Amino acid sequence: MSDVATDGRFGTPGTVWIAALAVLIVAGLGAWIYQLSEGLIVTGMDNVFSWGLYIMLFVYFVGLSAGALVVSSVPRFFHSDRYDSIAVLGGLLSFACIVVAGLMIVPDLGRPSRITGFLTSPDFRSPMVWEFLVVIAYGLFSAGYVWLLTRRDLAARGSRLAFGTADTEAGRERDRRLSLWAAAVAIPLALGLAAIDGWIFALQIGRGSWFNPLVAPMFVMKGLVSGLALLIVTGVLADRYTRFELSDRQVPELGKALGVFIAVHIVFLLGAERLPHAWAANFEFWTITSSFLVGDSLYFWLWTVVGGVLPLALLAVPSLHKRTWAVVAASVLAIVGTVFEGVNLIFTGYTDLNIDAAPGVAVGRDYTGFGSDIWATAGTYTPTVVELVVSVGIVALGALIVTLGLRYLPVAPEKTAGFGSSGGKPDTAVADGGDEPTGRDK
Amino acid sequence: MTQYGMVIDQERCIGCQACSTACIEENNVGLGQVWNRVLTEGGDSIETPSGSYPIDGSDGTATLSMDFQPTACQHCENAPCVKVCPVNATYTREDGIVEIDYEKCIGCRYCMAACPYNARVFNYDEPEHVPAEGTGNVPERSQGVVEKCTFCSHRVEEDLDPACVNACPADARIFGDLDDPDSTVSKYVDKYETHQLLEDLETSPSTYYVRGKMTPGRQRVGTELEGTARKDVSLPDGGDRQ
Repeated sequence: MSDVATDGRFGTPGTVWIAALAVLIVAGLGAWIYQLSEGLIVTGMDNVFSWGLYIMLFVYFVGLSAGALVVSSVPRFFHSDRYDSIAVLGGLLSFACIVVAGLMIVPDLGRPSRITGFLTSPDFRSPMVWEFLVVIAYGLFSAGYVWLLTRRDLAARGSRLAFGTADTEAGRERDRRLSLWAAAVAIPLALGLAAIDGWIFALQIGRGSWFNPLVAPMFVMKGLVSGLALLIVTGVLADRYTRFELSDRQVPELGKALGVFIAVHIVFLLGAERLPHAWAANFEFWTITSSFLVGDSLYFWLWTVVGGVLPLALLAVPSLHKRTWAVVAASVLAIVGTVFEGVNLIFTGYTDLNIDAAPGVAVGRDYTGFGSDIWATAGTYTPTVVELVVSVGIVALGALIVTLGLRYLPVAPEKTAGFGSSGGKPDTAVADGGDEPTGRDK
Repeated sequence: MTQYGMVIDQERCIGCQACSTACIEENNVGLGQVWNRVLTEGGDSIETPSGSYPIDGSDGTATLSMDFQPTACQHCENAPCVKVCPVNATYTREDGIVEIDYEKCIGCRYCMAACPYNARVFNYDEPEHVPAEGTGNVPERSQGVVEKCTFCSHRVEEDLDPACVNACPADARIFGDLDDPDSTVSKYVDKYETHQLLEDLETSPSTYYVRGKMTPGRQRVGTELEGTARKDVSLPDGGDRQ
């Protein structure tokens, strides 16, 4: 196994995984090239529903990225080393997710070659400029943060990724102090990133429920929920399939935090958003209650039930919340469910037109000749295969970044009793063929 | 300063779509795209009324109702599309016209999300024209950019009224400088009951609509812009000056 490690190669399952990701990335790239040659006509968007899957996933991955970094850097900010085992993983996930988010924007553009306009003629009134600047700053920062956390360990391994940093006691001490400051920058930067993500929508008067001061706080909370959930799932999977180790007791602790986040998100913030309308518009107690509780779209239910009620139930039941499988299941549900918060928001903005008199708006596609119906009085949207393949390819690139990071970065600073190895299973750096935790010290 | 604006008298509008057609032709708008739409306020489809016929002649039971709502870019003073454009491609000109620099547009469509009037269209496909070389006096916009009504800025710069104003057989459209108190548009806004579309959103559109009582209309001679030297005959503004 150690020869494999020094060669920097992966074991068989790891190779298969990487190959699968590579196939998805190449397919995504191919689909994007096809889209470039044909134009956005190969997407499902039109003049009424003018933002689709790319933007839905952009807002989602921004949240994931922000949440993963906040959750993993807060303990450090409070001088606690209790969650040091997930600090690097959180930074790594955050970096991968911001890369995914940033790349999601590119295929959404009608003319991506002119993206330099962000730098050459920005309008600082535009929330998209704020978001662009923060995404760039944040991407660089999260990469630097991961490096700061790992560079002494990298130096100890003799890795070239240390870029000349030496592994000294004093140096480790200095990095420890530096990382406190880095955490102090990371937290507001990440929260700002998620909030601006919300303001892209919340500042717009023209799209119904978008114009709502609670969108930004909800996006921040959505980020914390999904980011922590992703951290838990990746941590448990990495514990099982790589040399990364997550302590037994940490999963239920993280699960508890996830439960609190979900409660604040779905129960408090969403309640605070819905109650005033429900109360003011209805008179009887039960009509107020039903208007408050009952959503009106499939996406609303997917979001609140899959991303809220179900994981909250799993995490609240006393006999379940200490079990790893329950916490992981709750996390997976939260990851899937929160996708639909952004989807729901975009659908509520584009489904109804402010001025919906007949014949409506020319949709700008599918003109087939004289007499063809080019009009719509409401927005509809289904992503096309091209959009799906491009999106999956970009997400696969994010997964590849995480996989390579887990393989080549010292993700777990100290040796702890990983629960994956507690069952008498040999700790053989399983799928990634990486070196054993002790191998770092040689 | 100049602030170009338009008054549209919905009581005069006959729903003939001449403005819409003239706009498409003059501005070389691709097939399947429309900048200037004449919507029907009434039934579920175009040119159908809401309500029902009377039971017996004019017994007062008729509830039929139909109005026309000509809708294009409102050229808002507080234009959300201008504020959201990340690359300054959509901007407000000195004369108040909201215009797009197609060279700068990156096609992000944030402006389409911002516009409450759905006045903008995007070239998802390569624009097609009949005849293939296009029509009118504006170059074709490429695939991947957003476009919309420009108040025919290319005509206004030549001291000509926008194509829709010129085409309207009912004299329902009046174009001019809202900052000039003597212009017909200013007098109309001053004298008649006008409203702006979605006023509550505080976008301050430069397009005003007359509803309820029909204006006398304005006789027009020629295609020249009001107030220009070429239009030396000052024409009735529906009131004070003949």
